[in-house]
Amino acid sequence: MLGDIITPDLFASAFRMATPLALAAIGGTICERSGVVNIALEGIMLVGAFAGVAVTLAFGSPWLGVVAAVLAGVAIAAIHAFTSINLRSDQVVSGTAINILALGLTGFLMEIMYGHPGTTEAIITIKPVFRFATERGSGTFFGVIWNWFNTIVLSHTPIVYGAIIIAVVAQWAMYNTRWGLHLRALGEHPRAVDTVGVSVVRGRWIAVLMSGALAGLAGANLTLEQVGSFTENMTNGRGFIALAANIFGRWTPVGSYSASLLFGFFDALQIKLQIFRGEINIPPQFFLMMPYVLTVVVLAGVVGRAVGPAAVGKPYKKG
Amino acid sequence: MNTSKAKSSEGLDWIAITQKIGTPVASVILAILIGSFIMWVSGYNPVAAFSALYQGSFGSPKAFGDTLLRSTPLILAGLGLAYGFKANLFNIGAEGQLFMGGLAAAALGLALAGQPWYLAIPLLLIAAMLAGAAWAFIPAILKARIGAHEVITTMMFTYIARYVVSWLVVGPLKDPGQIPQTRLLPVESQLPRIQSLFSDATLQAMPFLKFGRAHMGILVALIAAVVLWLVLKYTTLGYENRAVGFNPFAAETGGISVQWTTVKSLCISGALAGLAGAVEVMGVHHRLFDQFSSGFGFTGIAVALLAKNHPLAVIPAALLFGAMSAGAGTMQLVADVPQKIILIVQALVIFFVAAEGIITYFLKQRQKEVPSHVG
Repeated sequence: MLGDIITPDLFASAFRMATPLALAAIGGTICERSGVVNIALEGIMLVGAFAGVAVTLAFGSPWLGVVAAVLAGVAIAAIHAFTSINLRSDQVVSGTAINILALGLTGFLMEIMYGHPGTTEAIITIKPVFRFATERGSGTFFGVIWNWFNTIVLSHTPIVYGAIIIAVVAQWAMYNTRWGLHLRALGEHPRAVDTVGVSVVRGRWIAVLMSGALAGLAGANLTLEQVGSFTENMTNGRGFIALAANIFGRWTPVGSYSASLLFGFFDALQIKLQIFRGEINIPPQFFLMMPYVLTVVVLAGVVGRAVGPAAVGKPYKKG
Repeated sequence: MNTSKAKSSEGLDWIAITQKIGTPVASVILAILIGSFIMWVSGYNPVAAFSALYQGSFGSPKAFGDTLLRSTPLILAGLGLAYGFKANLFNIGAEGQLFMGGLAAAALGLALAGQPWYLAIPLLLIAAMLAGAAWAFIPAILKARIGAHEVITTMMFTYIARYVVSWLVVGPLKDPGQIPQTRLLPVESQLPRIQSLFSDATLQAMPFLKFGRAHMGILVALIAAVVLWLVLKYTTLGYENRAVGFNPFAAETGGISVQWTTVKSLCISGALAGLAGAVEVMGVHHRLFDQFSSGFGFTGIAVALLAKNHPLAVIPAALLFGAMSAGAGTMQLVADVPQKIILIVQALVIFFVAAEGIITYFLKQRQKEVPSHVG
């Protein structure tokens, strides 16, 4: 049975499952590093997922859908930026309002555009970047190695690779560029940033918009590369799990990605295990709740030792 | 805020009261205006929509009964959230505690078949409160001991609660029929309808008492609101809750255990959410199934924020959202507007209530345009 569970497909699936979490988590990292809490990731992801499908259905091009998802994410994030930076609202409250707005907006638009609630019709999904036959020369040692490598590393769609690249680039930029230095300072000591003549408002706006773009891209990955249609409330708490991944990854992009990969692996595992439900006789609901239980366990194990940016969640008032 | 409170205890300070309710009222009006604009842009008639909404929520005694029905769990969930907010705890997962409350009420109700109502109903309500509190307990401990953010943990527990309930209604608690739900609760465990208190003759003479499906849970909710108000105002428990929310460092210095207060606050918040689930099961559906709550725990957030966390103000705030939820069906039927517009209006209300600086912000923008004297 173990041989049926631990297959190359399990690990490939882990990368796929990790991608929306990782993109949103990196968005959360950038946002929180600038001093703004973004619990709206869930709603932004949902709007991105919807925008991607709606544009793909209208124009027939999933790539245009990706662009639309990112732009929609940025637009929704702009609301969060305005309320939490300019109006200095409570950031958690503003995020909650956006999550409810996203639920209402996508549901409302779905009904007026397609005439029914629930799920949209299927779209053309984005295909994997590389395509090699899976079973080439299986049986030989190198054939097996090739199979594993081909499935785990070469079977993915563009945004899955994109997420890895974004994690690495964001990590580098956060610690090696002027932008990164300012970003980290914004979350730790905004007044110091202000004193040296860098605008806190501008810096935080850019960070929030970037997190919106990333969460929108996460939504695009979900609908345009994985599911192939939009269902109301389909993000199912991924935005919140992404926040946990950001904490587990200690507010760093590569850490966020790694933590998401862990969550993605367990998600892939629970799907795999469901096939053997007959043999182990556990109700499916227990598998489905695994990602959420794991998130709590991870938070319980790590949070005490992980300290976030000092000024996170605090509105900045100049003067 | 503290000074206005001191004043109001001497006598009604109308200026302070107007200032306090000004923002919420303005927020609701603005949200409805923007909602209307969205409807208009989408090709609907907002006037027809809102008059249908009014018809479906206040247009007849039965419609008002539906509003009461929807408001009941909203008052309870809103109270729970308000209590947490007072201590600066954002119990975003009230929905999960509500699910566990509903589950406890259903399971115990079925087990207590044959017991008299005066035993069954209080026991069910207490069990639901304990279940809600228990579901908030782990997030509470994690928050108090290691600072795990309650927004993430309570949200995760909401998903877990949904799967627990959906497992039980297809598994151990399943009614031996086709539909995934529990058996019907015994009559003794059901909260009676308000109109069942009156004789047929009375209802004939006074048809305005025909509140349809509205049930006695509203009484539970109103009592809870008054009790919570008294607790916050006059007890050490309530004082500590407020003190920790106001300034945890000062509270700690003053001898209040912030950790312990955090645990108590989240558990009380969960207990009230659990109660909301119980009244929904005992008063409306009389059984448990996995979709028994239409997001009352989440709407409770909007209720508490609109009420500015005041237990008594939670009642009108819940009535407003209860009315929207009750009238949404009529609105869709008559004016063809998708019910989801209600969620959009709800989100807008939260934005405006949260952004108290919004008016001063725009005033400042205008001031900037006026050249000022150089100091």
